[in-house]
Formats: sequence, structure tokens, C-alpha cells
Amino acid sequence: MPAGWWLRKRHYFLYIVREFTALPMALWLLWLLFDIKSAGAGAAGFQPPRSTGFVVLSAVCLGFAMYHSYTFLKLAGVIIHLKVLDKPVPPRFIVLTMFSLWAVASIVIGAVLIGFGR
Amino acid sequence: MNAETTRHRVALPHLFWWFMFANGGGLAALVLPVHILVQGILGPLGIVPVVDQHYDTWVNVLGNPIVKLYVLALIALSFFHFAHRLRYLLVDFGVHAAKSVPAQVVFYGGAVAVTVITIWVLLTTAPISLG
Repeated sequence: MPAGWWLRKRHYFLYIVREFTALPMALWLLWLLFDIKSAGAGAAGFQPPRSTGFVVLSAVCLGFAMYHSYTFLKLAGVIIHLKVLDKPVPPRFIVLTMFSLWAVASIVIGAVLIGFGR
Repeated sequence: MNAETTRHRVALPHLFWWFMFANGGGLAALVLPVHILVQGILGPLGIVPVVDQHYDTWVNVLGNPIVKLYVLALIALSFFHFAHRLRYLLVDFGVHAAKSVPAQVVFYGGAVAVTVITIWVLLTTAPISLG
């Protein structure tokens, strides 16, 4: 395959972006692990994450993470095949359920992260 | 050894990697954006209070065994997903060596290493507490 094949069509480019989302998400999760580890330094050595650089990194990672969520959950309609009362569940309903789950999970986890803060 | 046994030996590792890949991708899709938004942007900017902005609240939450299991699942499963995607990204870019066994050892071994480090961090950072 020639170099730069993925730049020839928008569809190819978006496919590569979808696959690439793994890298920024991995970087952010490694940071989360570092953030957890920093709690082991004790109250005196703890540095809360507040730098501008970190906020910018997170904003970039958020864009990729949202794209991963959108593409992955949308695929559920193609991958998951369910039958209820011997009738196939429409793919659109499965996708809608996955996006609803995303909304509920976001609200619950957001509430925990904020609710236990001060 | 009959044909059926052979088929099972081939299929089970494949099933395992696909299970890790699919569940890692699904879990990351459902929960990672809100973590990044709240812990990476809203908290550091001071827009909302967030658990990891203060030592006491962060240690209290991290001491909860359910939180430890959740963080372990999130990081471990996600990294198996990332390993698979990044390996195939290299294949898509023409790096055929990424299909080789050593490359598989590097990528999936990396996911195993991150999982082990995560377990170590979770067990040594905040004591388990149900309070």
C-alpha cells in the first residue's frame, strides 16, 4: 500500500483518527495512574493537578476520547445482534441504548467525582 | 488429539483477546470522557470541586475497594484495547513487523505490565477502607 493512502479519502482519514484515539487516551490514563500514585506521597508532598499544560493536554485528549466513544458506541448496532421474543432488536434501538448508557454513566461518575470533592 | 480439541486450543486465546479488546473499548467509551472533562479540565480550572484536587478527599475515595476495582478495570481493560488498536495502526501504516509474535509480546506485554503496575499502585497508595 502506498505511503499516505490514508490521506486520499476522508473515510480513510477518519478511520486512522479512530484508531489513533488509543494513544491520547492511553497517555491520559497513565497520567491518572500518576495522579493516584501522587496520593501516596502524603499530604505534604501532594501536588494537585492544576497546571495550564495539563488542562490543554486534557482538552486535546477529551476530543479524541469523545470521538472514540461516538465511533465505538455507534458500531454496537452492527456488532450486537439481539433477539427479543424471537424478533431481532433493531440496530437503531441498540445504538440508542448505548448512547443512553453513556449519558447515564457520565452523570453518575461526574456526580461521584464532584460530589466527593470540596 | 481430535479435531475438536485442536479447534478449542486455537479459539480460546483469540476469544480472550477479543473479550479484553471489546470490553476495554466499551468501558473507555462509556466513562473516559467524563473523567477527562471533570478531572482534567473542570477541576484544575476551579469550576467545580473534584476529589483529586485535595489530598484528604482523594485518599478517602482511593481507599474504597470498589473504587480500586473500578480503576483497575478501567486502566487494565482499556490498555488491552489500546494495545490492539495501536498494533494494527502500525500494520495499517505498512509496518508489517507489527504482526509478528515479538510485536504482540511488546504490545500485549505492555498492557500486562500496565495492569501489574496499576495493581501495585492501588495496593500501595491508599489503605483499603470501607469508611
